[in-house]
Amino acid sequence: MEILKCEGVCKIYGSPGNEVTALRDIDLSVDAGEFVAVMGASGSGKSTLLHILGTVDKATKGTVMVDGTNLSSLNPTQAAIFRRRKVGLVYQFYNLIPTLTVRENILMPLTLDKKKPNKEYFEEIVGSLGITDKLDTLPGRLSGGQQQRAAIARSLIYRPALLLADEPTGNLDQKNSREILDLLKLSCRSFRQTIILITHDEKAALEAERIITLEDGRIISDEKRRQSL
Amino acid sequence: MRNRHSTGLSVIIAAFISALLLSLLCGMFYNMWKYEIERIILEEGGWQSRIAGLPNQEAMESIKNFATIKDVVVHEAGTQEETMVVDLYFYHMGNVLEDTPKIARLAGISEEDLTYHYELLAMYLIRDSRDKAPRLVFPLFLLIMTMASVSLVVIIHNAFALTMNERIHHLGILSSIGATPRQIRACLMKESASLCVLPVMAGNLLGILLSMILLHMINALLGSQFPQRHESVFGYHPLVLSGTILVTVVTIGISAWLPARKLSRLTPLEAIKNTEELHLKRRKHSPILTCFFGMEGKLAGNGLKAQKKALRTSSWSLSLSFMAFTLMYCFFTLSEISTRETYFEKYQNLWDIMVTIKDKDIDSFQEAQAIQELSQVLRAIVYQKAWAKRIVTEEEISEEMKELGGFAHASLKDVQKTPEGWMVNVPVIIMDDCSFLAYCEEIGIPPSLDGAVIQNRIRDVTNPDFRHPRYMPYIKTDNKVSILRQPGREAEASKLPVLAYTEKAPALREEYGTLDYYELVHILPVSLWKEIKEKIGHGEKDTFICVLAGENASREELNSLQESIRRITANTCTTKSENRIEEYELNQKQIYGMKMILGGFCMLLAIIGIGNIFSNTLGFVRQRRREVARYLSVGLTPKGLCRMFCIEGLAVAGRPVLLSLPPAAAAIGYMLKISYLDVGEFLAEAPLPPILAFTAAVWGAVALAYYLGWRSVRKISLAEVLKDDTMI
Repeated sequence: MEILKCEGVCKIYGSPGNEVTALRDIDLSVDAGEFVAVMGASGSGKSTLLHILGTVDKATKGTVMVDGTNLSSLNPTQAAIFRRRKVGLVYQFYNLIPTLTVRENILMPLTLDKKKPNKEYFEEIVGSLGITDKLDTLPGRLSGGQQQRAAIARSLIYRPALLLADEPTGNLDQKNSREILDLLKLSCRSFRQTIILITHDEKAALEAERIITLEDGRIISDEKRRQSL
Repeated sequence: MRNRHSTGLSVIIAAFISALLLSLLCGMFYNMWKYEIERIILEEGGWQSRIAGLPNQEAMESIKNFATIKDVVVHEAGTQEETMVVDLYFYHMGNVLEDTPKIARLAGISEEDLTYHYELLAMYLIRDSRDKAPRLVFPLFLLIMTMASVSLVVIIHNAFALTMNERIHHLGILSSIGATPRQIRACLMKESASLCVLPVMAGNLLGILLSMILLHMINALLGSQFPQRHESVFGYHPLVLSGTILVTVVTIGISAWLPARKLSRLTPLEAIKNTEELHLKRRKHSPILTCFFGMEGKLAGNGLKAQKKALRTSSWSLSLSFMAFTLMYCFFTLSEISTRETYFEKYQNLWDIMVTIKDKDIDSFQEAQAIQELSQVLRAIVYQKAWAKRIVTEEEISEEMKELGGFAHASLKDVQKTPEGWMVNVPVIIMDDCSFLAYCEEIGIPPSLDGAVIQNRIRDVTNPDFRHPRYMPYIKTDNKVSILRQPGREAEASKLPVLAYTEKAPALREEYGTLDYYELVHILPVSLWKEIKEKIGHGEKDTFICVLAGENASREELNSLQESIRRITANTCTTKSENRIEEYELNQKQIYGMKMILGGFCMLLAIIGIGNIFSNTLGFVRQRRREVARYLSVGLTPKGLCRMFCIEGLAVAGRPVLLSLPPAAAAIGYMLKISYLDVGEFLAEAPLPPILAFTAAVWGAVALAYYLGWRSVRKISLAEVLKDDTMI
């Protein structure tokens, strides 16, 4: 089942005469439950693609459909609600809210919708991510690895259509990087979560079952790997 | 700093207000000091030391020729020849204590005959260990200035901290390439100085102008109340300006130095990495905001707690200004109600013009009839006041008074126990015969000049509520004679026939039985007074005329009547005249003036707080864009974000009001209690419009600050901020 479809997506930055094209005619389709890695050098357009998929940014041209929603037609409020419900974003620097506890951070998307969490699902997530004993702590008191686990938990709490991870291991040591990748794989396997991992780390990318490589804003390769998650 | 307009502006405002306040204080103090010297010289003379007795010619010559002596004045200190004194004036005050004994020795005068003008010398900071009197002018000034400076440092250093924090990344870079902490501090201090030069100058100049206006207002206010008061003339000295600038520079310098010192101590890495993000060290709860506004309320509450330090200035200054403003207006309202009820309303139908005839006894005042016959005059009572004593015996005390313990509650100051009974004070009101006869008719007795009327009432002394007193008969009314005695010589007595006992006081401005509850007022016609005057004595030196003009007489009519009375009395006596409407208007003006001055201080205090809020919200783009981006990235809608900022603004503006309301309410409650005013009466006239206007002005300013902050934050590019993890 197709969960993401991009057709002719272009993104151009800057003013006329001084334009920089970040993405050029991107066509992409991702099925539900796929673990896709997007690779490329700095400036290849991978983060721009992630931002467009996460409704943080808008494509200049083309259509992006996520779980049946055309992202280009969303106004800022609809985009915010879409991010809350359909997309989980994981960043290199975690982007947890420093004034809220880990529990409050994780539950934030649900709280914004005034929804009560499914207790069992919440416990399952935090248990599998190993942060059960850190729930009442402020993010500033946690290690990088623990913060990233909390960020992953937050991105999964709403059971989003897409989990977008932008260099999630970029700020972590080897051990923590390994663990985070394992957790992403685990969530893909356990919760049939579609994951798009943006990375320039080849080793991390090899954990995915499909690797898309970008160069100068174009997809230059789309390789499906046979790997058991 | 110059390129960072928002926070630079808050530093400019802080420097300007500090300079203004300090300059105002210094200007006022200098003029107070100058006035005090003028007053001392006027009252006691400008001599610096004095020799009692008259030295011989040779000694006088040597005194006059002494090097540091400027002038020598010989004059009588009293009426007797032996009280001749020699006043010494020196070129420099500093020589007085040292040279006067030398002069005395030279002239062969004993040191015991020397006197120093300590009060005057103390005004020039010249103190002598022999002078034990506390001279508090300078210590008080130093204390006030120190308190003002320290308070300003506490309040404004935050504005500098916010401005400097904006540069923290640059400072990190500077530090990483080898700038020493001292160089960084110097750089920050120079930048602060460049921002503050103009506002300090402007603030100082405006402070001088304000002190001039304030002095003018004080002259107007006090001059009308105390006509004999020496009027102060505004003056300013370059040294005062130098001193003011020095104090201002030190105050602002310390305010800038505190954050500069902190920043200069950061390691390069700390400085470069610093994201200035709002953090909480411990988990905090905002139960009220969360309860009322949900998640947005919680985020706003946490945001506020993280900004606690940055908003401390505004919190304090807004709370203090609101409390001071509320208390001031409530106090003036209470005072106005009280004055109106106890004075203007109570005596509204009793007098329109009060004339004081200076140093004249009522029996020698011949113009009473001429004044009473003036066409605009409805009633004119000419009266003099005198004091006597009389004994109230146990049998005379009324049954009602006995029930309340008789004289058991009386103070020994007012009532003395004698073998016959209790010696009480007797205020004697001596009225012109014509007015006395009218008074007799008023109280329902046959008009007669052959006796006195006794105002026979006493307050329930067990009830301290002076506003709602309960009166009862003081003595029994059987006695047809009252024996008045001379105060101090009680053996001298005079028997007066009593025409009547009444509770009704004559229509005069005086009120008796307010301080000494046990005084027994006697009202006499002048013809009777003439007979007992010699025995009783103790008449006050002035005579009064209480004039009631026609109903609803205008101010112009009263002025014209005043002029007519002045013309009648001009040839025979010196008079002073008061006009009720003028007095009322003057009283209103004085209250208005006080409100303006104190309200102005409250506004200045509030401006400091509002400046702090502006500097904070205008720095939102830098300080909070990442926070905002995070909220948006997890699905908070722009509307939700707007709501969060609204809640934050509401809390920032509302908290000072909520915090200051309980102490203000307690203080007002206390004021109501001691003034015995009904709560309902106060609430009906509660100064809600000015308090609401002040609150609305502060809230409006806070709303504008948050709107501007929100407007700048909503323009941020989410993608850009999320990409820009280092916030550089």
